[in-house]
Amino acid sequence: MTDLPREAQPDLALEERVVSALVAAGLVRRRLAWRVWVAAAAAVIVLAFGLRTLRPTHSLTRGNTYAVLLYEDSVYRPAPAGHGSERVAVLSRWADSLRTFGEFESAGRLIGPGPLGGLFMIRAADDAAAARIAASCPFHQWGGRVEVKRFEP
Amino acid sequence: MTDDLALVERFLRGRGEDAFRALYRAHTPALYALALRLTGGDQGEAEDLVQESWVRALTALRTFRAQSALRSWLCGVLVNVRRGRLRVDWRIVDAPDAEPLADTTGPEDAIDLERAIAALPEGARDVYVLHDVHGYTHREIAELLGVVEGTSKSQLSRARCLLRSSLP
Repeated sequence: MTDLPREAQPDLALEERVVSALVAAGLVRRRLAWRVWVAAAAAVIVLAFGLRTLRPTHSLTRGNTYAVLLYEDSVYRPAPAGHGSERVAVLSRWADSLRTFGEFESAGRLIGPGPLGGLFMIRAADDAAAARIAASCPFHQWGGRVEVKRFEP
Repeated sequence: MTDDLALVERFLRGRGEDAFRALYRAHTPALYALALRLTGGDQGEAEDLVQESWVRALTALRTFRAQSALRSWLCGVLVNVRRGRLRVDWRIVDAPDAEPLADTTGPEDAIDLERAIAALPEGARDVYVLHDVHGYTHREIAELLGVVEGTSKSQLSRARCLLRSSLP
């Protein structure tokens, strides 16, 4: 064998050329430069701050649980036969709007003697906020009476 | 586990750029030296050859087995890439057995020899470079180049004779 060198250093640019070709061919995954990491972290911080700013204040409620009680008194106008599901749909949309802000816990009908026909369990910061939520309940429009009471487990 | 195998496994775990650069830096100087000699010193052609060889090598890297040295395997890939680009006339050349050339004694001798190697006909150059410079056996060369061992031997003799006649 000859003693000629078995190694030769190519131009440094070849390394970048080869890496680019391999990345383009899907054979190597490109490393993200530190600038990209910093930019990504900054974007996350800005996004989180933005969401916090844009979020409605009442969605941050960490107050109490309240029972919104629905009474079917003598002035209450029951749904015409065959239209009961429409009222359920209206109440469900209202519940969904509460859920969006973290104010809805559960709901259901109450079966038994007396005018009390159903309830919603909601979350509100305080009594006044709970009263405002209860006042927005569509049950009123059918002549129903709505009461709200703080629930203490 | 050899360093090479560790590098290969590290790369295969995530195909990350850093792991590849480690492989590249460990073996490209040998690939480039081989490519330079096989192309008669054409730097652009040698760089293209190295680039294409890495693409082929990474495509087939999972088939690499630790029984052979990674460098030999990579050089084999490079030789095959070049074969795909060329049509070398592998007709048997009648040439007397020739002894290896004496070792070069100084930088000027080495430069003369490199020039003389670059001037060799393709087939003879390939065999000479693989055998006398990079240490491949005739059997390995025959497998790499897809020729019989006798062809490899006769091309080597031809190359040595030509070199002897062209060197001062």
